[in-house]
Amino acid sequence: MRSDAPQSEALTPAAPVAKSRWVWPRTFLLLLLLLSAIVFGTGLGSVNIAPGEVLGALWRGLASQFTGAELISNDVIVWQIRLPRVVMGVLVGASLSVCGGAFQGVFRNPLADPYLLGVASGSALGATLAIVLDWPRALIPVSALVLALLSVAVTLSLAREGRRFPPTRLILAGVVVGSVLSAATTALILRGEDRARQVLAYTLGDLGFSGWRDVLTVLPYAALGCGVLLLLARALDTLQLGDLTARSLGVPVERLRLIVVIAASVATAGAVAYVGIIGFIGLIVPHMVRLAFGASHRILLPLSALLGGALLVYADLLARTSPLSQVGIVTTLLGGPFFLWLLRREKEI
Amino acid sequence: MKSILTLTFALASLAGATTYPLTLTDDLGRKVTLKAEPQRIVSMLPSDSETLCAIGACDKLVGVDDYSDYPQQVTKLPKMGGLYDPKIESIVGQRPDLVLVSKYGKIVESLAQAGITVIAVNPETYEEVFSKTLVLGKIVNREAQAKNLVTGMRRDIAKVEILTKNAVKKPTAYYEVDPTPYSIGPNSFMGVLLTKAGARNIIPASMGDFPKVDPEFIVKANPQFILGVDAKTAAARPGWSSLTAIKAGKAIELPGNLGNIFSRPGPRMPLALAQMAKIIHPELFR
Repeated sequence: MRSDAPQSEALTPAAPVAKSRWVWPRTFLLLLLLLSAIVFGTGLGSVNIAPGEVLGALWRGLASQFTGAELISNDVIVWQIRLPRVVMGVLVGASLSVCGGAFQGVFRNPLADPYLLGVASGSALGATLAIVLDWPRALIPVSALVLALLSVAVTLSLAREGRRFPPTRLILAGVVVGSVLSAATTALILRGEDRARQVLAYTLGDLGFSGWRDVLTVLPYAALGCGVLLLLARALDTLQLGDLTARSLGVPVERLRLIVVIAASVATAGAVAYVGIIGFIGLIVPHMVRLAFGASHRILLPLSALLGGALLVYADLLARTSPLSQVGIVTTLLGGPFFLWLLRREKEI
Repeated sequence: MKSILTLTFALASLAGATTYPLTLTDDLGRKVTLKAEPQRIVSMLPSDSETLCAIGACDKLVGVDDYSDYPQQVTKLPKMGGLYDPKIESIVGQRPDLVLVSKYGKIVESLAQAGITVIAVNPETYEEVFSKTLVLGKIVNREAQAKNLVTGMRRDIAKVEILTKNAVKKPTAYYEVDPTPYSIGPNSFMGVLLTKAGARNIIPASMGDFPKVDPEFIVKANPQFILGVDAKTAAARPGWSSLTAIKAGKAIELPGNLGNIFSRPGPRMPLALAQMAKIIHPELFR
């Protein structure tokens, strides 16, 4: 730790320690992992395309943006279907992981994930409403987004205590809002049971129809939310020393908590609205990074973005080339046992 | 006296009358015995409701599930809920002597405990549409009508098939059940109809009867018809605007309630087939 290292570090075992010497080589390693994910993610699928052809297709796709030339056959698959799908995977994986890391930091709770405040159940309700009431398909993510943000607002107002947002109240309020919304979703599904499969597919998370337009819609939410969180990394580090210490070190704890919660919810809501609920990525990626690279948020958050992006693209690749069929199933099926293994290995995460 | 009885019996069996008590194994593998001809029937499957009405047992129905909507007569009957939220109390309240259910619900136990006869009659494959019609005919003592219905359906289907079988070109087609997207395999009853309508289904049998399809698979297959998606929605999907079907204006939202009829394994199957064939081969029906 450098000059801003808290004085009381020795007294607080949870204090973040950066293994700074190894940061750059490891960042490089993660960048390679992400790059490989993008290459495999674009090349493999129900139609396998040779790396050379992928590169050619990328070039022709890029060129077509300027020349307006029409793409054919495999070029269409690479440029209009796979690449946006992969980019969406990177965006969503990175957002969920950064938000998860920030939530775990701001609540000082290793079980926190981006869905903690009811974003997932809110967006599920929004999507279900749109599907069951047969709204135009383009309105599904909009409705999901609106309800996701609304549910966070409700959670925040329920948890508010004067001008403060105590972590325990936030978590409890999030659980309650989540349960109530899930009940409403279930009731709706039963009313429109012939669409139950569609709703189920949405709630299991799917990158299937992500096109460039969706990527461009999600991008601002991800950039804004994650950008704010990355800027707050240093303050999050200080917060690990406890509210009192952080306050005495000049961190406006309550305002910080509120800003982190809002920024993370905006990024998560944007992602969830367009690709559905993808479990466990936001929970386990920060833990993996913390184990391997240390707990300082200035390292944790950006590296979580790289690892999360790469892992989600690989998970999606597995999803579309195996009978597991949906990325949310893959992440949960693999993420759950992994988290348990982590739990046993670390005793206290 | 004895000879009269024998004669009556012979006449009755000639007319196809069912003799009760009737014991049969239903689609859940349960052995069920009907003591007498059912007079108060609740049907929890839209296709069963349609079939009962088509073989002249419509007046025996005292309740149907929420999705039974044909013929007109059944829409006036009390609604008994759906597959996942059946209203068991309403069903019992109708004092039915027979409840027809799907294989997939969970109401058999509770209804059986209430002392109600429950039979699962759940056509799924193309051939089952016919065989289950005959089963229903036997159950409600309308065997002759059921046989007539099946004969009529086979004849009407053959009339279409004669035309489509010899079509010079059979276009490739993708049929979308819902925008997840789910489609239909060639061995599902809808897949059989699609093939009989003179199309080549892009989904191979190996993918299963109701597979979830990877969108890029559809782009690669580049079908000449996209059925069940309107042109605007289809063209807006990433990578789809250059598909042959969309350029040729052959991305079609099924007209009227064809989607509904087409997805129902019941007596209107020939009607659905004829309408589908007209979409795929308009030149054959001029």
